[in-house]
Amino acid sequence: MAIAAPALSGALADIVGRAHVSTEPAVLDTASVDGVRPRWIARAGSADDVSRLLALASSERLAVAPRGSGSSVALGNPPRRLDLVLDLSRLVGVTDYVPADMVASVEAGTALDALQARLSREGQRLALDPVRGRARTVGGVLATHASGPLRFRYGTGRDLLLGVRFVQADGTITWGGSRVVKSVTGYDVPKLLVGSLGTLGVIVGATLRLHPTPPATGSWLCAFDSAAATRNALAVLLASPIEPERVAMLNGVALRAGGWASEGPALLVGVGSVEEAVRTQGAALADSVRREGGRIEHVPSAGWARLDSALDAPVVVRIAGQVRRAVDWLRRAEDLASRARLEMACVGQAGNGVLHVALRGVTSGPALEQGMLGPLRQELGDEGGSAIVERAPHELKADLDVWGPVPAESLAIMARLKREFDPEGVLNPGRFAGGL
Amino acid sequence: MELSAAFLRELEAIVGARGVVSSYEGRLTYEADMHTFYKGAPDVVTLPETAEQAAEIVRLCRRERVPVVPRGSGTGLIGGAMAPAGGVMVGMNRMNRILELDFANRCAVVQPGLINLWLSQATREHGYYFAPDPSSQMVSSIGGNCSTNAGGPHCLKYGITVNHVLGLQVVTGAGELLWLGGKAHERPGYDLTGVVVGGEGTLVLVTAAIVRLLPVPEGVKTLLASFSALDDASEAVSAIVAAGIIPSALEIIDEFFVRAIEEGIGAGYPKGAGAVLLIELDGPTGEIEAQAARIVPICRDHAALEIRVAQNEAERALLWKGRKEAAGVAGRMTTNWLLQDAVVPRSKLPEIMRRMQAIGARHGLRIANVFHAGDGNLHPMILYDERAPGETERAKRTNEELLAACLELGGSVTGEHGVGLDKAPNMPAQFAEADLNFMARLRRCFDPDGIMNPGKLLPSHPACGEGFRPSASRLPAGAWV
Repeated sequence: MAIAAPALSGALADIVGRAHVSTEPAVLDTASVDGVRPRWIARAGSADDVSRLLALASSERLAVAPRGSGSSVALGNPPRRLDLVLDLSRLVGVTDYVPADMVASVEAGTALDALQARLSREGQRLALDPVRGRARTVGGVLATHASGPLRFRYGTGRDLLLGVRFVQADGTITWGGSRVVKSVTGYDVPKLLVGSLGTLGVIVGATLRLHPTPPATGSWLCAFDSAAATRNALAVLLASPIEPERVAMLNGVALRAGGWASEGPALLVGVGSVEEAVRTQGAALADSVRREGGRIEHVPSAGWARLDSALDAPVVVRIAGQVRRAVDWLRRAEDLASRARLEMACVGQAGNGVLHVALRGVTSGPALEQGMLGPLRQELGDEGGSAIVERAPHELKADLDVWGPVPAESLAIMARLKREFDPEGVLNPGRFAGGL
Repeated sequence: MELSAAFLRELEAIVGARGVVSSYEGRLTYEADMHTFYKGAPDVVTLPETAEQAAEIVRLCRRERVPVVPRGSGTGLIGGAMAPAGGVMVGMNRMNRILELDFANRCAVVQPGLINLWLSQATREHGYYFAPDPSSQMVSSIGGNCSTNAGGPHCLKYGITVNHVLGLQVVTGAGELLWLGGKAHERPGYDLTGVVVGGEGTLVLVTAAIVRLLPVPEGVKTLLASFSALDDASEAVSAIVAAGIIPSALEIIDEFFVRAIEEGIGAGYPKGAGAVLLIELDGPTGEIEAQAARIVPICRDHAALEIRVAQNEAERALLWKGRKEAAGVAGRMTTNWLLQDAVVPRSKLPEIMRRMQAIGARHGLRIANVFHAGDGNLHPMILYDERAPGETERAKRTNEELLAACLELGGSVTGEHGVGLDKAPNMPAQFAEADLNFMARLRRCFDPDGIMNPGKLLPSHPACGEGFRPSASRLPAGAWV
C-alpha cells in the first residue's frame, strides 16, 4: 500500500537517522541525475541500511539511483524515474586485509586513493587507475567498469574483483564470488555486477585482488612524425617480449594538456619491475621506437597523473575497437571532430583498443550524434566496437543515444536478467544500455 | 529416460547418421568424466560439426524437455560431462579447428573442441601462446576450459581462463545462437561473456571462442628447491610472495608424490625429499634473474636442502612433466583415492597442512598433496582401500572435514576443477541461501526450462533420474590435477 510522502520521509529517517535524509530543494538539486531531481537523498551507514532502504523502495515502487562520490553520475541515459538517491559515501573502510594474501575487502564507499594509501604501507596496490578516478569510490569504479592505463597489464575491475557483497532490488543482501585469489565455486556473480551501473543490485562491499607495487618504474614518451609510424611502433611493442604495465596513446591536445610539447599521436609507455629490468626494457623500447623513426624521452612517472586534466571536458566519449586499429580510430575521431569544429583530446588505452575522447565545443545532441557518434558507431560496428558517451551535459542527452546499439540477441538476455532481478524497475530505471 | 524413435530420427536429420552414437557400448564411453565415481550414460550422443547443428540440437531438446549435456574431452574431475539424468550429450570433439589467428589483435578464434595445447603449438613459432595451462592441457579442450573456467600452474601470474576469453559463440538453453563479447575489449551492457565462463554447461553450450594470445616471454627460469618438511616449503612460498615476487608458478609436491613421480616417470626430483617446491619465473630476462637471485636465499632461510635451476629446456620440460602427471602416477600407489580442489588464503597454507595431517591421522588415512601453493589451491588426495572394512566411509568423512577446515579458514570449495555433481552438495557450506537463490535465478535467465546439464553446479533435490549409479573410485587411465 502506498504511503504518503511525509510518512515516507519518516520511514527513511527511521532507517538511516534524520540527519542522513535530505529533502531540502537546494540539496536535492545537487543530487540531480541528468536534470531529474530526486525527492529524497538518504545516506546509508551500513549494508543493512541499504537493504532496508531498498526493501522500502521496492514496496513503495520508488526509483532509486545509487551514488558513490557522484563523479560519474553523468554516465547513462537520463533516468526514466527518480525518487531516491541512495548515497553510499558513509560506507567506508577496509574491513579485512591480510597483506600476505594480497587480498583486501572494503566497503563500497571507500575512496580509491584512501585504499591505495593503506595498501602502499605494505608495498601493495589495487592495480586499477581509472581516469580522473582517485577520489572515486571503489563501488562506483566497479559499477561503471572504469579503468585506466594499468589495464594493459592487470585488467579491469572484471579481473580484480574476487567477491562482491550487494543488495538486490528487494533488499536481499547477497554475496557472490570468493575471498581467495582463485575460486570457481558457483557462477561468477562479480562479473555480472561489474559495469552493471547498479541496475541489478547495489554493491556494498568488494573483495579485491591486489598486486605488489613494483620496486622501480620508468615511463617514456614516444613521439612520431606520422600516424603510420605510430601504428607500426605500437604493433611492434605489442608483439615484443617487453612487458609494459601501461600503454597510453595521446593526441596533440592531450599532450599539450599534459605539458608535453609534442604533436600526436604519441605513445606513453610505463614499465614496472626491478631496477635492472626497467632499464633494459627502456633500452629495448628506445631501439624499437628509433627503428620506426620516432623520438623517445624518459619522463617522470608523475606525468601519468596529468592525463586526468586532458580529459577534463564537458563531453567524454569512450571508443572501443579492435586493438590493431587503435591509431586508425584516433585519426578517424580527430577527423570527424575537426569537421564538426570540436576540440578533441584523446587518451587511449592503446594496447586494449580503448580510447577516451574529450570534446569541447559541442553545441547540441544532434550535432554530436550526426557529426561524430553516428559515423563512428557505424564504422566501429563492423568490427564489434562501440562508442559510449561517458559524460555529457543533460541538455544534450535528450537527443543522444548515450550507449549506442546493443545487438538484439544479447539485449534479449540482458532484459531477462533485468526483469528477473529488478522486476519493479527500482534500480536506475532506464539509465543503462538498451534502456534497461 | 526413453527417447522416441521419432526424436532420434530428428537428431539424425540434424547431424547425420555419422553424428549420432546410440549403441549401448558407444554410449558407455561417455558415461563418466575423469571422476569415475559418478556414472551416468546419456541416452544418445551427438557430434555436431557446426554451431548451427549444435543450436538445432538444443532447440529440439528444449521442445521435448530433454536434458542437454555438453562434453569436451571429458577430462574434468567433478562429475560434469556425464549424464546422471540421461538425455542428449553434445560432444564437441569434431569442432576442433583454429578458425583464425589474429596476432595483430593478440587473439585467436577457435572451435570448442580444439585441444588447449594445440593452440600454443600453432602460435609459438609466431611468438605467441595461450596462457591457461591446466595440467590436462595436452588433452583437454578449450571449450571445456571455458565451461569449467580452468586454471593451471601458471594462473598464479596470468589468471584463469576467464581472464583470457574475449568472446564466445554460444547456444543458450533457450536455443538462441549468438556471440557474446568479441575482439573489441569493451561494449555496452552486462558482461555476459564473463558470466557464462565457468557455467559448466548449465547456462550455455560453447560453439566458438575468441581467446587472448600473449607474446612468449623473453626468458623463463625454473627452479627446484627441496625441503625435508612440507611446512618449510609452505613457509618459503609465503616468504617469496611477501617479498613482492609473483612467479608464474609456485607448486609444492609432497614426499608421497615425489616418490610416486620418481618411480613412475623419473623427473629428477631429489629422492627422499619431504617436499619439492617448483618455482617458475618468466618475463624480461633482467627481471627473472633479479627475482631468482632473491628467491634462492629465501629458500635457504627456510631450510632448503637443495636448490637447482633447470639448465635447459629438456630439463625444464622434465620437471614439469613430473608435476603435471603427478595424479596419474600416484594412482598406481593406492587402491582408491578421493581428490580435492579446495582453496585457502595463501597465508593459511602452513595451518591447513597441519590440520590436514591431524584429520588424516584421526581417521587413520594418508593424505598426499600436490598443489598450486602460490594461490593456495590444494589438491589433497585421500588414499584408501575400499576392500578394508569401513575405509570408504572414513575417506568420505576425512574429505568432508578437510573441506570444512578450508572453508573455516576463509577458503573455497573448488579452485579450478569446478563443482559439477561432486561438489554441488557442498555449495550451501560456502554460500547462504540468498546467494544460491540468486545463482538459480541467473541460471533460469539462460536456461528457462532447466534442460542444460541438470543436477550440476547447484545443489538440487534428489531424484536425479535414471542412469545415475555411484560406484567406487577407480583410477582413470590418466588424470590431471
